[in-house]
Amino acid sequence: MKTSAEPAAAPALRLDALGVAYGRRSVLAGVTGEVAPGGSLALIGPNGAGKSTLIKAILGLVDAMTGRIEVLGTTPARARGRVAYVPQADTLDSEFPVTVAQVVLMGRYRRIGWVRRPGRADRAVADEALERVGLGGRAGDRFGVLSGGQRQRVLLARALAQQPELLLLDEPFNGVDSTTTDVLLDVLAEQRKEGVAVVMATHDLSIAHLACDTGCLLNHHQVAFAPIAEALTPELLGVTYGRSAVVLAGDSTIVTTT
Amino acid sequence: MRAFLFDPYRLGFMSRARVEVVLLGTLGAVVGVHVALRRLAFVTDAVQHTVFPGIAIAYAVGWPLLPGAAAAAALTVGLLVMLTSGHRQFFRGAPPGPRVDFDSALAVIIASFFAVGVVVVSRRTGYAADLSTLLFGRILDVSRAEVVETAVIGGLCLVVLALLHKELVLLALDRTQAAAVGLPVRLLDAVLYAVTAATVVVAVRAIGTVLVVAFVVTPAATGRLLTKSIPGAMAAAAGVAAVLGWIGLSASYEASLNHDVRLAAGATVVIAYTLGFAAAGAARLLFRRA
Repeated sequence: MKTSAEPAAAPALRLDALGVAYGRRSVLAGVTGEVAPGGSLALIGPNGAGKSTLIKAILGLVDAMTGRIEVLGTTPARARGRVAYVPQADTLDSEFPVTVAQVVLMGRYRRIGWVRRPGRADRAVADEALERVGLGGRAGDRFGVLSGGQRQRVLLARALAQQPELLLLDEPFNGVDSTTTDVLLDVLAEQRKEGVAVVMATHDLSIAHLACDTGCLLNHHQVAFAPIAEALTPELLGVTYGRSAVVLAGDSTIVTTT
Repeated sequence: MRAFLFDPYRLGFMSRARVEVVLLGTLGAVVGVHVALRRLAFVTDAVQHTVFPGIAIAYAVGWPLLPGAAAAAALTVGLLVMLTSGHRQFFRGAPPGPRVDFDSALAVIIASFFAVGVVVVSRRTGYAADLSTLLFGRILDVSRAEVVETAVIGGLCLVVLALLHKELVLLALDRTQAAAVGLPVRLLDAVLYAVTAATVVVAVRAIGTVLVVAFVVTPAATGRLLTKSIPGAMAAAAGVAAVLGWIGLSASYEASLNHDVRLAAGATVVIAYTLGFAAAGAARLLFRRA
């Protein structure tokens, strides 16, 4: 399929006039842009603007209605083994009877395959990932007893255990403590140096500035897809969030009145 | 105590009933932990009612009950898979306009199946006796062949759950992640529904359609109160179900024979399960306080 002599040259993500619909209701239209290996993209827009839908499209969980989506040089479904996803920690049941170590180990399940059990190498990768997010000492604790920020870090460790080439994060900085914010920023920078591309949905413009080189402003359709400093302008943010609902304080904080 | 626990089982029918209760209790306990993790009690609820017409029709035409129940259960699982996938957002191309919500659709299915069962049974003479057999089971009347069937079907269910354990747990914790790493989530749903349905089907003959839900729900809930891990909960639930099932059967025998109080065997087992659950809950409260 791909005949290029330099497979590394394929962008981590290529979107070409991507549109997604649930039934007859269009939720996303006209998204176009590229993310290079080691690059990072912030998805910015109000709630329900289609950020999570775009992440699901990259994961291959919803199909493109129009346009094209290419992940790591192939289709989303074929790229699945090389893409990791970090959900918001509070979307998971905190009463669920699993330990922190078991949650991280789940990042290895695809590589382990059906029926087989995790081996020593899988446990080593999971342990290392947990150390990396600063929770090596909590491996045996029940997942639900951790704080929201710590649970977010466990889910990041699960994604690291997948050893992905593309890392997707859905609002990872929402309501987390400063330690977690630091760990997240640190790990994302480190991953990018190793050539891992990062795509994250976020509300936090200062974080977007710090963590991402590109910004995609969304409100059902694409408002902008540009280098982060060019994307996060008061004018474009005004268009994205709706003029009446936005107050800009300084150049990095967005406050919606809704 | 020795007499209470062992003497009744010198009788062939009591011995078969004990094996059947222990097998069903163990199976229901393990399946029940999965059902609780996924909050799938509605599957048990649906199948326990919808197998009724299958059993009733098989009974009316003189066929063995198991295939009738299995056919009705398979139909139910098919309908549930359709309903739950339509229920989620993965359903595309649905016509716009008002929809029937999941609970109402489920209620329509359950009630209509049950009504068909009642119509079939009510056309027979000896209606009341037949109906009570189907509703409350006949644990003291299971044959050796039926015990073997229970062991084989239950064993198959447990093997399937063991082989798919890590995938089912991941799916229960984080459905999006399961789909994102490429697991066939709808197929895994269907397998879990089918195992739950099979459990209800083999249990319903001995316990009846009304009490079968206790076998899937109560020991599993007790196991979760007593332990912190999923395998731990399964082991504890299975142990609790086996021991309390045995004690319950002994109690019903003792009361009926020596105290002239007729205790229905299946119901006594369910009461024993319930007392175990209450004791585990009380123990946990006391531990917390201390």
